[in-house]
Amino acid sequence: MNAIELEGLTKRFGDVVAVDDLDLTIEEGEIFGFLGPNGAGKSTTIDILLDFLRPTSGTVTVLGHDAQSDGLAVRDRIGVLPDAYHVYDRLTGRQHVKFAIEMKGADDDAEALLERVRVADAADRKAGGYSKGMRQRMVLAMALVGDPDLLVLDEPSTGLDPNGAREMREIIREENERGTTVFFSSHIMEQVEAVCDRVAIINRGQLVAVDTIDGLRDSTETGETLYVYVADLDERVLESVRALEGVGSASIDDGRLRVSVDGVSKFAVLHAIDEVAAVQDFSVVESSLEDLFVRYTNAGQEVEA
Amino acid sequence: MTWLTVAKKDFRDAVQSRALWSLVGIFVVLSVVSTYAYVEAPALLGSQAGATFGGLIFFTIGLTGLFVPLAAIVVCYKSLAGERELGSIKLLLSLPTTRGQVFAGKVIGRAAVLAFGLSVGLVVGIGFGSVLLGEFDALAVLVFVLVTLSFAAIYATIVVGISATTGSTSRATTLALGFFVVFELLWDVVPMGILYVVEGFSLPATIPDWVYPVMQLSPSSAYFTTVVALLPDLAETVGADPSGAGAGVEVSATEAEPFYATPEIGLLVLALWLVVPLAVGYYRFDATDL
Repeated sequence: MNAIELEGLTKRFGDVVAVDDLDLTIEEGEIFGFLGPNGAGKSTTIDILLDFLRPTSGTVTVLGHDAQSDGLAVRDRIGVLPDAYHVYDRLTGRQHVKFAIEMKGADDDAEALLERVRVADAADRKAGGYSKGMRQRMVLAMALVGDPDLLVLDEPSTGLDPNGAREMREIIREENERGTTVFFSSHIMEQVEAVCDRVAIINRGQLVAVDTIDGLRDSTETGETLYVYVADLDERVLESVRALEGVGSASIDDGRLRVSVDGVSKFAVLHAIDEVAAVQDFSVVESSLEDLFVRYTNAGQEVEA
Repeated sequence: MTWLTVAKKDFRDAVQSRALWSLVGIFVVLSVVSTYAYVEAPALLGSQAGATFGGLIFFTIGLTGLFVPLAAIVVCYKSLAGERELGSIKLLLSLPTTRGQVFAGKVIGRAAVLAFGLSVGLVVGIGFGSVLLGEFDALAVLVFVLVTLSFAAIYATIVVGISATTGSTSRATTLALGFFVVFELLWDVVPMGILYVVEGFSLPATIPDWVYPVMQLSPSSAYFTTVVALLPDLAETVGADPSGAGAGVEVSATEAEPFYATPEIGLLVLALWLVVPLAVGYYRFDATDL
């Protein structure tokens, strides 16, 4: 059984299409990263999954239950760290976690959970006085109540310092090792890269890529960029280089040749360039997943602009 | 059963509201002062028969009839709209519950908060009055307190129901205050206005029967009328006339008249004020995008 299945999911707010015909399957047991810039439709998708929003068309199935018609069964088996939530200012951290325990009919120890997310020392203070990071930890503790089969985390590292973000990732890994599927959204590639098995990139409500981290990396490594210093750089040289086999694109950038390499070895390309104009120096820039993310999410915008 | 957990959490949260306790404080002070005034100088307050325990109860109804709607607005207007505006509803509805259970839990939690605050005020007010009068009618107090607490619960339902229809606290405030103004402050005028229009823009010499039930549509009038219906003997000794609470229109409610013109109509109206806000609030809350 799949943990989450989105089929033809569409959500319109007036004439704005927030989520546009999304198809996506998250398998049980994986850590899945849902990546996209702000406003791409990540939270809207998650809100439909939690039945905060009703889809315009399409369906969401979570752990075999329809998210809209059988939401109670869904929420019975998942733990959630929502986005843009607010805590109950007048209740303490311990009261929050105890509330989640009671609502889920679980028998967890509130103290142990708060210790796990490192807010135990503030357990009896009112949550209204917590910092953003402490709130995020407390709500994570609430999400962990009842040992859920699926964790849905919307921008989990919001408000956390680098240490906190690392601890968050450790908890995600620990939960995953115990068999929990983790679905989390982020607008930061780095966080997703560090922990995810598979990634979906969403932009303007549409899915632009779904792959494993390695798959994404493979596709970026064939797209390396060479910066080449040659003697007598001019338009004629540029034209000749463009015509070379294995050169994706070429341009003049700050007195250098900027050449993207496709499908052949960098050495072959360098050699070919050397025959057009003498190579004096060169450097290689490996595009990171971050570049890929930027490329995916900007490309769509340029096309539409 | 998650509604019970929601109700308990909500009670714990809302009972810490400073606004609620300042309101209770005002209510206690007001009831002590006015009880004292009523006992010491009944004529001043329009009672010719002198101070009696029954009179004190009907006098207190006038106070609670105003206090309960205002306190209900303060305690309940943000109950759902506020959680939606801030986003704490996301925390709540991420847990294994349904919107129906959350709505029910909110109604019960806030009703309990209101009843709790009101009880404090009533115990002080009635206690003080009975000490001054040296009189205590347990049955009358029991009926009065039960009806008053039910009235408070119904008002909590009305305002939570209003709060369930919107995700904006400012709209919830407007709607709740609008409800108060129309049904509590202006309602005395509304039936007369309708009558005026129906009768061809003039007021008839005798008030037709249908005006009486229309006047009882105001929750606090229905509350007063219900106490009259349940404590008829006491009401008679005091000369409490259901319409006396309103515009001063004389409508006699003797036994020969049809049901809709008897005080029992108050019970029906209160029941309506329980069912309608529940239905409307649930329908709107369940269908909306949060």
